[in-house]
Amino acid sequence: MALDRRSFVKGAAVAGAAAMAPQVLVRTARGQDKGKVVFVSEESNPKAIAVYDKINADFKKETGIEVVMEYPGFANIAKRVATLIAAGTPPEIVWYGAGQAMNLALENQLADVGDVLKATGGAAENQRLIYKGADRSIPTSQQFTYGWYRKDLFQAKGLDAPTSWEDYAKAAKALNNPPAMYGCIVPSAETGASTLLLETMFMKNNVHWFGWNATKKDYDVVLDQGEQKKRAIETLDYLNELHKYSPEASTYNWGELMSTYFTEKAASSWYVGSRLLDQTIANNPKIADATVPFELPRKLTDAYYLSVQGFHILEKSNVDGAKKYVTFFLKHPELISWYHAVPLHIIPASRQMLNSTKYQDHPVIQKRMDVLKFLDSIWTKGVPLYYWDGKELNPYIGLFHNENLAGWMLAARNIKGMKSEQVVDEAAAQVRKKMRRVS
Amino acid sequence: MNPRAERRVWVLGTTGPALVFLVVVAYLPIAYAVALSFFKKTAFNPAMKWTGLDNYRFILEEPELWNAFGRSVVFTVGSVGLQLALGLVAALLLNRAFRGLNLVRSLFVLPYLLPSVVVALVFQWLLSPEYGVINQVLIQTGLVARPINFFGGLGTAMWAVIGMAGWQYGSFATLLILARLQAINPKLYEAAAVSGAGPLRAFWDVTLPALRTTLLVIALLRGIWMFNKFDSIWLVTHGGPLKHTETLPLYAYRLAFEEFDFGLAAAACSVMFVVLLGGAVIYFKLFDPTREIEVGR
Repeated sequence: MALDRRSFVKGAAVAGAAAMAPQVLVRTARGQDKGKVVFVSEESNPKAIAVYDKINADFKKETGIEVVMEYPGFANIAKRVATLIAAGTPPEIVWYGAGQAMNLALENQLADVGDVLKATGGAAENQRLIYKGADRSIPTSQQFTYGWYRKDLFQAKGLDAPTSWEDYAKAAKALNNPPAMYGCIVPSAETGASTLLLETMFMKNNVHWFGWNATKKDYDVVLDQGEQKKRAIETLDYLNELHKYSPEASTYNWGELMSTYFTEKAASSWYVGSRLLDQTIANNPKIADATVPFELPRKLTDAYYLSVQGFHILEKSNVDGAKKYVTFFLKHPELISWYHAVPLHIIPASRQMLNSTKYQDHPVIQKRMDVLKFLDSIWTKGVPLYYWDGKELNPYIGLFHNENLAGWMLAARNIKGMKSEQVVDEAAAQVRKKMRRVS
Repeated sequence: MNPRAERRVWVLGTTGPALVFLVVVAYLPIAYAVALSFFKKTAFNPAMKWTGLDNYRFILEEPELWNAFGRSVVFTVGSVGLQLALGLVAALLLNRAFRGLNLVRSLFVLPYLLPSVVVALVFQWLLSPEYGVINQVLIQTGLVARPINFFGGLGTAMWAVIGMAGWQYGSFATLLILARLQAINPKLYEAAAVSGAGPLRAFWDVTLPALRTTLLVIALLRGIWMFNKFDSIWLVTHGGPLKHTETLPLYAYRLAFEEFDFGLAAAACSVMFVVLLGGAVIYFKLFDPTREIEVGR
């Protein structure tokens, strides 16, 4: 053949380079586009999206900056943000949990947003995310982890809302009638739901994964030491006891925590925030009025696992445009409709707003003022995981939290039947190993 | 333009785009993944730090990699075996004339046409411990007292996943085997019958040798696809419970998108690539499919 291999490959390589060039150019240009803000939001409820659309249109009218939205959803947002950063095209704004955003802060990806906080009214101490002396998060809302129970079923058995571990175990046992009805739900899998349950119950029993070492000025793993180990074992054993009154739930994630409850297969469940109530109202309204919040029972402390959501601005992006947008968003009159998109679930970060007539002026909130009062009563008790072990931001929580290690612990205890002590030892060893790799 | 140059332009113009496409969508990502495996790169920072063989050392020392590899082998052998068995039985049933044959054949092909997410949802509904039909039947017939958590039980999850994959992809085997069955010369069966062979003997001496090549090709193709299978398993178990269905692709995914360590994930993918390459080389050495196809004609 007249065409030799070398010239063919050369020609193809040139064609390939030509095909790739626009991609590279687009990537370079994107960060410099001052007329655009890419906003990745975890909240993808249609009502919330309608509010975004309205505010974004007003923002464009006022500043000429276009806001491009992405809604990857709760389960995929961390992956989406990670891939955008890895591709060299970081978004300007990410709205999601500050705990997830901490991963970005640790890699110096988040801009200092102290000026935006100042301009928009500041934030409560337990909602701030401070890294290298600067605020990295603009909190908008928060959610506590707490339980929900069927008041009608409890009353029929002469039971009140459980307040102690013993009460809850007794109630779960009394109401347990499998497979028609289970007393409670203890998901036991390497999933986010299982992880959060154990992390919450650890808080209720004052169990710490890490302890602050003042000499090293760093955190050490203490889960398998002294009192911590004793309490961790006690917590695992307690959840193992509760698991007897739960569906096996070894595949459970967030959806099942709600669907098992609203299909009347469980007398109690739990969730982060009140989406469970929202879903019960939507899917089985006849049990909605009897669906009442309660504190997941405490042993030693009444701390609540706190998830704080907010705006996070990426350092290597159109920071000015992003700051303008966030300030505009938080001062926009439609902000209240955004909070009302999932009423009582997206709880304002500001207690003042929670108690305002404007916020409470919504039929669901008006009907369920008991939920609002419950939330107000626990307002100061929330602790984000990254401040649970000490006043300093704990940079290591991702080593167990991101990988659902607490979920693994529950599954190892409840599904595999491992001894609690062995589970605790193995979990602590895993975290230490990962710490070594990180360091 | 002289004819030689013209021919050069013609060849480049016609094959170049396809080659560029192949390079961009297949070879560049492979090369990038292999290169990435020598760097430390977290998902939240585009900066890459050269670490040499550290990622390989780390994952090769991890029992998790070998456990995942073992599960990949179990899943691949189990699901491909089931696909071959189901495919063979279905093809033999469909290789005869009866009323409604075309409709039945279409129904047999249907599972292969369904998206994995649909199949996963159907199996989740069928096997759900709370509201699944299978559990309802088992409980109502008194075979079990409490529902079986098929996808969530330590002893059942892998078998449930294998069963689902076998059902979905068995149709592929059915199609190929049926096509081969219809190409077998009927005179061979007549000769076997004249020699006194019953149906079983005819199957053993005529059908099976004729299907040998097809079965090997199915085993190779489906073996590679099943070894790389991610979606079906991820959709129903996420690799659980307690990693009992975490095969190599899921392990690599976990490293990348739960531990956010792209370097380690790339190393795991490279190991997977080498394993498959090794498997393919062994297959070609042992079975020489080119020769088999020649013989099969």
